[in-house]
Amino acid sequence: MGDIFKIGQVIQDDSSKIQCKVEEFLGDGGQGEVYKVKLGDTDYALKWYFPHAATPQQKEILEQLIQTGRPTKKFLWPIHLIEQQGINGFGYIMELRPQNYKSIVDLMKRRIEPSFRAVITASIELTNSFLALHTRGMCYRDISFGNMFFEPITGDVLICDNDNVAVDQQSANIGVLGTPRFMAPEVVLGKAKPSTQTDLYSLSVLLFYMFIMHHPLEGEKEAAIKCLDLPAMNKLYGEDPIFIFDPTNHSNRPIPGYHDNAIDFWPIYNQDIRDLFIRSFTKGIEDSENGRVRESEWRSSLVKLRDSIVYCSCGAENFYDIEKIKQQGSLGECWACTKPIILPPRIRINNQIIMLNHDTKLYPHHIDDEKMYDFSYPIAEITQHPSNPSVWGLKNLSNEKWVCKTTDGTIFDVDPSKNVSLVVGTKINFGNSEGEIRI
Amino acid sequence: MKRRPGGEISSRPLHFIWIADCSGSMSIDGKMQALNTAIREVIPHMRKVADENPNAQVLVRAIKFSSGAQWHISQPTPVEDFNWTDLKADGVTDLGKALSMVAEEMKMPPMSDRALPPVLVLVSDGQPTDEYSKGLSELMDQPWGKKAVRIAIAIGEDVDEQVLEKFIGHPELKPLKANNPEALLKHIKWVSTAVLKSASAPASQSDENSGNYTNVPIPVPSNNASISSTDVW
Repeated sequence: MGDIFKIGQVIQDDSSKIQCKVEEFLGDGGQGEVYKVKLGDTDYALKWYFPHAATPQQKEILEQLIQTGRPTKKFLWPIHLIEQQGINGFGYIMELRPQNYKSIVDLMKRRIEPSFRAVITASIELTNSFLALHTRGMCYRDISFGNMFFEPITGDVLICDNDNVAVDQQSANIGVLGTPRFMAPEVVLGKAKPSTQTDLYSLSVLLFYMFIMHHPLEGEKEAAIKCLDLPAMNKLYGEDPIFIFDPTNHSNRPIPGYHDNAIDFWPIYNQDIRDLFIRSFTKGIEDSENGRVRESEWRSSLVKLRDSIVYCSCGAENFYDIEKIKQQGSLGECWACTKPIILPPRIRINNQIIMLNHDTKLYPHHIDDEKMYDFSYPIAEITQHPSNPSVWGLKNLSNEKWVCKTTDGTIFDVDPSKNVSLVVGTKINFGNSEGEIRI
Repeated sequence: MKRRPGGEISSRPLHFIWIADCSGSMSIDGKMQALNTAIREVIPHMRKVADENPNAQVLVRAIKFSSGAQWHISQPTPVEDFNWTDLKADGVTDLGKALSMVAEEMKMPPMSDRALPPVLVLVSDGQPTDEYSKGLSELMDQPWGKKAVRIAIAIGEDVDEQVLEKFIGHPELKPLKANNPEALLKHIKWVSTAVLKSASAPASQSDENSGNYTNVPIPVPSNNASISSTDVW
């Protein structure tokens, strides 16, 4: 039930004369209502503000966003401003979110069960998108569960509710402060307004939720609180924020029975990712200006994390961790079936180690560190020999020939669309870099 | 096969209790039916708010009072399973009895020792006919009663607003006045969405509310210095 428009109502913008027909009420929030509308033959979403939220500042922000345009195609960005005489306030048109994109809330409530790979892919896309937004000098100001959506099979993301986006350090005094549990401690304490720096904190909370299915500050101190009301939340998330896995301060460890997800998920990932979370919620809290993990750091470690996925024979995804192997000589047991994890062949290219699973693909950045992260065109993929499935190979999907060298010194070419067998010690020269197959 | 370990993210219960006046006067001018309709109307909205907040597990109950009081929906029911049964008007206005019974439910147990602030919504059209202050003090003697977000909706002109103000117990928050079914629906919707959201704190906090200092950021301007930030119990 929408309060503002009736189904079938036609709305026409006074200045552009753009017309849209209201088809369906989609939802409401604190600021306004959202409808599905038809503009020509295409479905869009129309958000209309309640009178208290239809401020001149909001209108100014929208006009600026529409003029600037979306940072990447992952943002469901305002396209047209709509005002019609006789209807209070204003609204804007944006693209409609397809139904197969699910919210992070669905992930938290286990209504979707994506693979680790899909969750990591979504994280890479989120960090990439916020990097693009921040690079334009803009900040999001309300990174939280409700605004991020992803496709559970591919991990493709869409970022909604972009009407709070503003130029960093400007318009700081109007609009949202953020969502509790995601707001940076300095915002909770009223010492700072939302900015790019506070976005970085909120992003790390969101990533922690996605990876660990838990809040990074909810440990022993949260368990001790009976009534989790505003004063208690201000203390937990603002005045006394202690990371549950702080390596030096052990006062806020997760408690079995209350915080089981944190205890279950944390040991599964590699040390590299754990280190970024540790920095985010220790130095990143102490020093909000210089201590926080930047999106480019997240992205680079997340890409490596995805390269480190290994499949147990039971089908569960585990993670290769060089630090663990150095310490205990093996990767240990699978989190799901507790059998020892057997490593697949790997390829080392410069300082990257990529697991060669049945579904592994290599991308341009793997063989040329000058290349941007682009996962649309793989340059190599794992294949099985057509007549002997026990022989695995790496297929050249690029346009360049590779030059390979076996352990006995034999040199041979692998032309585009040809395969080289996965034999230990074989070196592949990709042009700018060289990889070596290992077991 | 499970693709990832663990379960849902940890959540806390949020008890939401309707305290509904069913005295004979509620039958005049269709007030009783307007309340029944309003609550039925907002249930889907309430479900949506609860659904969007994975940190809270919203549990709903209802108690009715007229000559005496009785739990109308006695079990704390997950909002996704909550269905309304129409109330009927008859008898006097024994508010005190209802508050005593709510106070019993605010004890630990049956309340768990970890929860979000409960939300108690009192809807009344008249003046209490029993010793309401006894029931109120029993409620306020319970830590969960004191921590609860208490909202009152006054239907019509005959309400003793002072009684409702005492129930709210907050100098800045006034009873919401509903002189017609539209206003009643609006208020019922507000408590079951905006207030529910604030009690579980998932919504964006906008700047204009930042001056609030209640134990729950109710989206109404207020000032309460009596609750200190160290008040974690």
